[in-house]
Amino acid sequence: MPLDKSVLERTFPEFEFRVERGKIKEYALALGLTDPVHTNLEAARAAGFDDLLAPPTFVRQFWHENPENDPMPHLGYDPKRRLHGEQEFEYHKPLVAGMNLKGRNAIVSTREKEGRRGGMMTFVVIETKFVDEAGELVQVARRTLIETAAPPKEA
Amino acid sequence: MTTVTEYAKWEELTEGAEHELTVGPITRTDLVRYAGASGDFNPNHHDEIYAIRAGFDKPFAHGMLQGGYLARLLSEWLGPDSFKNLKIRFSAQAWPGDMVICKARVVRQYEEAGERLVEIEASAANQRGDVLIKATATAAPRT
Repeated sequence: MPLDKSVLERTFPEFEFRVERGKIKEYALALGLTDPVHTNLEAARAAGFDDLLAPPTFVRQFWHENPENDPMPHLGYDPKRRLHGEQEFEYHKPLVAGMNLKGRNAIVSTREKEGRRGGMMTFVVIETKFVDEAGELVQVARRTLIETAAPPKEA
Repeated sequence: MTTVTEYAKWEELTEGAEHELTVGPITRTDLVRYAGASGDFNPNHHDEIYAIRAGFDKPFAHGMLQGGYLARLLSEWLGPDSFKNLKIRFSAQAWPGDMVICKARVVRQYEEAGERLVEIEASAANQRGDVLIKATATAAPRT
């Protein structure tokens, strides 16, 4: 299916969430992080953080908090041919428990490319900017979503 | 009791310095736990029938699970708040039963605007040597 170009005209509403200690611990444990700054308040404070520090890829869980906020479900991609091609993070301020963040998703680029075995591959880059209550930039995440020319078995 | 993680010292982080972390074999439980922690419930990562109908042999790991392991290696080496940026490119899937062997190397050590920085190249491969992900990062080491 070609990219539904109407999605490029859309803007997506800002969403808000509170960064929770329990969620940080859960995320750290799922990746086996042993650094106590993610799980032990005393250790986090001893290391100079106000509260538990979120692991580096933590904001991943807020990309698609609500389909209304996220362009991904609206791209018209065939879920069987959808790949996560690249993921980039920019870090501006430490992300710690108790922060109230605002996030906003936007499509920042698209391109099409001939697949190696024919057919078109579509690349879409979605950027999510996260700011704190003062409006200062905390992190930026950019994911490149690819729709491949054919499902894996037919390729 | 509070434990303290020892990060690499600036003097050790010269060009060519390396660090490794091997995780696995990854289990389906690891996939389900990451799905819950990350909120990514794409059925390809837990639903056998869905994954097979989509053309895969079985459920496979979220790319960001391997990406998270690689970030863990860098975080526990350089410091958990040391990152300036992290860029991950996904090449191949990791399957339950696979090892994820993460390696990172300093490719540049420099100072800019009074800040000590390192550029890192990193990758994760399985036990057969297939590259799963490649990554680059810029970090200001904590110690």
